[in-house]
Amino acid sequence: MYYPSKLRSAVAALLFVAGIVAAFQAGYFGKEILVEIALYALLALSLDFLAGFGGMVSLGHAAFYGIGGYAYVIMTMEAGVPPLAAMALALVPCFAAGWLLGIVTSKVRGIFYIMATLAFGQMIYVFTFQNRMLGGSDGVAGVPRIDLTAIGIDMNDPSIFACAVVVATGLVYLVFSRILTSSFGRTLVGLHRNENRMRALGLSVRWYKAMASGLAGTAAGFAGTIAAQHTMFVSPGMMDWTTSGEVLIMVILGGLETLIGPVVGAAFVVLLKHEISEFTNHWHFFIGVFLIVAILAGGRGLYGSLEAGVARLTRRKSEREQEPGKTTAQKNPEAGNA
Amino acid sequence: MLEVVELSKAFGALRVTNNVSFRLEKGERRVVLGPNGAGKTTLFNLLTGELSPDSGRINIDGVTVNQMLPNERVRLGLGRSFQKNNLFDGLTVGESLRLALAIKRQKTFSLWRDGTRDAGIVERAEEIAGMVGLTSQIDVSCDALSYGARRQLEVGLALASEPKVLLMDEPTSGVGPDMTDAFTAMVGGLPRDLTILIIEHDLDVAFDIADSVTVLNFGKVVFDGTPEAARTSREVREIYLGDWAGDA
Amino acid sequence: MLTDPGYLFVQFLNGLQFSMLLFLLSVGLSVTFGLMNFVNLAHGALYACGAFIGYSIAVWTGSFWAAFLLAPLAVCVIGAVLYGVLIRQVRSAGPLTQVLLTFGLIFIFLDAFRVIWGDLALGVSAPTLLATNIHIFGQTYPLYRLFLIALGLAVYLILWLALERTNIGAMVRASVDNAEMASCLGVNVERLFFAVFCTGCLLAGLAGVAAAPIFSVYPGMDLEILIPTLIVVVIGGLGSLKGAIVGSLLIGMLQTFGQVLIPQLAGSLSYILLGATLILRPEGLFPARAH
Repeated sequence: MYYPSKLRSAVAALLFVAGIVAAFQAGYFGKEILVEIALYALLALSLDFLAGFGGMVSLGHAAFYGIGGYAYVIMTMEAGVPPLAAMALALVPCFAAGWLLGIVTSKVRGIFYIMATLAFGQMIYVFTFQNRMLGGSDGVAGVPRIDLTAIGIDMNDPSIFACAVVVATGLVYLVFSRILTSSFGRTLVGLHRNENRMRALGLSVRWYKAMASGLAGTAAGFAGTIAAQHTMFVSPGMMDWTTSGEVLIMVILGGLETLIGPVVGAAFVVLLKHEISEFTNHWHFFIGVFLIVAILAGGRGLYGSLEAGVARLTRRKSEREQEPGKTTAQKNPEAGNA
Repeated sequence: MLEVVELSKAFGALRVTNNVSFRLEKGERRVVLGPNGAGKTTLFNLLTGELSPDSGRINIDGVTVNQMLPNERVRLGLGRSFQKNNLFDGLTVGESLRLALAIKRQKTFSLWRDGTRDAGIVERAEEIAGMVGLTSQIDVSCDALSYGARRQLEVGLALASEPKVLLMDEPTSGVGPDMTDAFTAMVGGLPRDLTILIIEHDLDVAFDIADSVTVLNFGKVVFDGTPEAARTSREVREIYLGDWAGDA
Repeated sequence: MLTDPGYLFVQFLNGLQFSMLLFLLSVGLSVTFGLMNFVNLAHGALYACGAFIGYSIAVWTGSFWAAFLLAPLAVCVIGAVLYGVLIRQVRSAGPLTQVLLTFGLIFIFLDAFRVIWGDLALGVSAPTLLATNIHIFGQTYPLYRLFLIALGLAVYLILWLALERTNIGAMVRASVDNAEMASCLGVNVERLFFAVFCTGCLLAGLAGVAAAPIFSVYPGMDLEILIPTLIVVVIGGLGSLKGAIVGSLLIGMLQTFGQVLIPQLAGSLSYILLGATLILRPEGLFPARAH
């Protein structure tokens, strides 16, 4: 079960403040990296919601990123919808596609679920790639940004834009944190732990899977609408299955089933990518090595290891305070992540 | 409360459930006995809805449930426990019970509120933990429990689906004599208005708990009566004795 | 053009040749998958290894046939090392761990290829013996491609004989069906799995070196072939030779004729087929396991 423990909230607040400061203090290139981190953080935390908490390991998450981006582009550039409304409306097809994928795959588990989502993602990718109306392999350029000059906010100012993206990421984090502590979130974790028992307790499993998939897809699509405005460009490349794989790597390197961990993972991978690119363009190699080391080390990831360490310390402390022998397997729900 | 009428199920030429009928009044505790291969598990699966019968009817509280899915039957008041522990590893005892209660009370939809923390549910979860003897371990993770305690939680989860009829599939399988006695005492302590059907191979457990006994052999009901009558029935002993002696 | 039997026949041969390549790759993946539920996304990277190593051997020795024989062995050794160092440790972990670990390997291999062999596509010429065209139905067709078809069929035949007619084959089939039972009957499933894994690597290497003269050799070739191979494995059904060959023919022909007949949809066809299989028949067409 998910609990927004003090440690999680503290790390989240720290990252948020760091993001806001960076939005105003960093140079032009730094701001670009910041937005990239925030976009990957959105993808990673929504994938953690689905894969870490819900047990549905998807390799097609990037498809929703693309659907969101393209839906925003079609609405603003073809249908003439005002950008702000388009951003909201673009979430509808994302939720619908995620919901449908969830319904269709509700009985598919384990590696077969991974394959099914991979197939779904590639289908969307290939379809876009080969569709002339959507710009084919070239994509679409000249995407407009939302216009908030009416309330005195200039989205074309890189600092303002980066700041807005960080705030949006923070809000999505809060929403998912809230959903995970809701009845639905509890049910989702229960489904992950023992789907069979949930059914035997009377739950209609597939509606919950569909909803989880829809929500995760919506958040990824939301990231897509921001990405389209950030680079003012969309292309099929944003939906490649290796993008989904990279997001999964971020989730693992940060800490599966912790919600804040994947955000840490996104920041780590993006920064590492840019640092390594300074002296070699073989960053794939290093990410691959990091990933394998992280998995062999137990697969807790950066934040996950921190949390486990803190939990061990507090347990040792409470054991020393209590009578010896009385603290068997007591678990502190604040520190636990199950 | 639970009525089974001329229920039959065949796999190919093998009639695993053959014209089985019995009924449980409200609050009645019935044990279904039978040697291995008598068709106990098939009967259990027909009742829960994992299998659908070839002919016959199953009524819960006057409603025919033949066509209903397992989860629909649960909503109607049919709770079940599993022969093999089927728990939520990683969740605590309390979390598991509250989740099960929330499902039964249809409080799992909200994306915003935590219905599993509603006062009614929290209290009821504590009550159920008390009934199955897990009060002191309510905040312990399921995977840290002893086998016996896991067995108790298995029944606790079935109770948390707040059934009118509780089906238990070999609840004492794999536990020692001490635990078996504790289990008998626990069932004795459950509310008297709860109707219970237990599939069991241990005759002693059956005789301690049951108001009535059904004995199956080759898919057919060969005895239906009180435990006392079953104990002295020559028919039952003849059918059951070989297996019984082997078990003991 | 579409009614010209000669043209269609050539397309049929192309489809057959692509199918055989997919078969060489998918059969090893499928059996390791079925035997131990092990998912190896790096299988494509081993195929690329075969192609790159084959290229280097061909350049050093000047003989394609030396490459053809040695490259698969080299890939087999690489596979064995990977197994000993990494794969053994995550073998019984869940699919997520396996997917991620082998995904990490893809990344590592990708950059290793770039560093050692560079970013550009490398050409490998077919051996002189096969570097001619033959005439069928008034069309010319490269003899080397026919060789590839024959190679695939020969491997299928050998594997079929090995699985159906030998003791080891019987052990493999028994273990795929029920590993626990087989191990109770005295089969060393662990060692068997290792042997099957190495055979799979050998065949992947063979596919790589055999494909080199047709597709040339470049970093990223592994990712291109990986997805169709995975599709074949899932559609065919885990752990079955029959599934691998039927799935390969299905996907090979679908992609080839799809490109000719309905080019706009060709790319999506195999994904649609995969999606439909997973929903309607999740165990695949010919699963080796009863349940």
